[in-house]
Amino acid sequence: MSAEDVLFDMLHAEIVSYMVSKESETEDEDLSVLEHLGYSCGWRLIERITKELSRYKEELEILKFICTDFWSCVYKKQVDNLRTNHQGVYVLQDNEFRFFSKLSNGTQYLKAAPKYATFTCGLIRGALENFGIASIVTVEINTMPSCKFHINVQQSS
Amino acid sequence: MSIHNIYIFDRMGTLLYYMDWNRQKNSGMSKEEEAKLMYGMLFSIKSFVAKISPHDPKRGFLCYKTNKYALHYYESLTGIKFVLNTNTSVKNVRDLLQQLYKDIYVEYVVKNTECEMGQPIVSELFKVKLDQFIKQQVKTLQ
Repeated sequence: MSAEDVLFDMLHAEIVSYMVSKESETEDEDLSVLEHLGYSCGWRLIERITKELSRYKEELEILKFICTDFWSCVYKKQVDNLRTNHQGVYVLQDNEFRFFSKLSNGTQYLKAAPKYATFTCGLIRGALENFGIASIVTVEINTMPSCKFHINVQQSS
Repeated sequence: MSIHNIYIFDRMGTLLYYMDWNRQKNSGMSKEEEAKLMYGMLFSIKSFVAKISPHDPKRGFLCYKTNKYALHYYESLTGIKFVLNTNTSVKNVRDLLQQLYKDIYVEYVVKNTECEMGQPIVSELFKVKLDQFIKQQVKTLQ
């Protein structure tokens, strides 16, 4: 792992602990601020990494792009598994999620885990938003370091 | 070769971690007390070695040996101290300790933000990785 990756990891961890203090009573609000940080990062990032790509049309293709190019840009690896019900629900599974890989390989720290995935939820939502896809992204963690992101696309009717 | 046990201390002398593999004889006191005694002895040896040295001591205290076991000491620049007890015939323990510091301690303690600095290590992952690392070393050095 290069020095700049470590810097990103450390900065991310500090932002998380700054945003979500342990005794905080407003944890939901804190998390939503953190999610918004991710949202604007994702929104801007997608602008930068798609500048040389042709326009995507299909929703699925865009999701595939998120799983491959976008994920390797941020996390230096691809998403391990992408599943969909073809009705606007997608599940992205990363079996070795970067922010969990040093934390635990079981259920220790499970209570603290969601706050380390919130930024990424925002990142995905922001990226999709800039493609014109409004969505809700939630996270499911059972056994670390694996992590599942549920994407619920809001139908624009 | 056999590795008996390891102590990890921080700069202030707090016992961060203790683990043993094959230790046949117990000291007959609590872990905390034993750790205090161990740290006190290391502290004394360190200053003794520095004072008595005829030249600039450079790396200072490295290890001591009895007829039954050898104690190896490695201190990082930040003052984290690794103490490893092995049998007397083991070589290159310094490299092993340096690698342990770099690959296990830094990776799974420093980079784990749920681990508070200066507090005993409770991470399960660290425990697993340390155990794996030592067992692998024992295997390769045999």
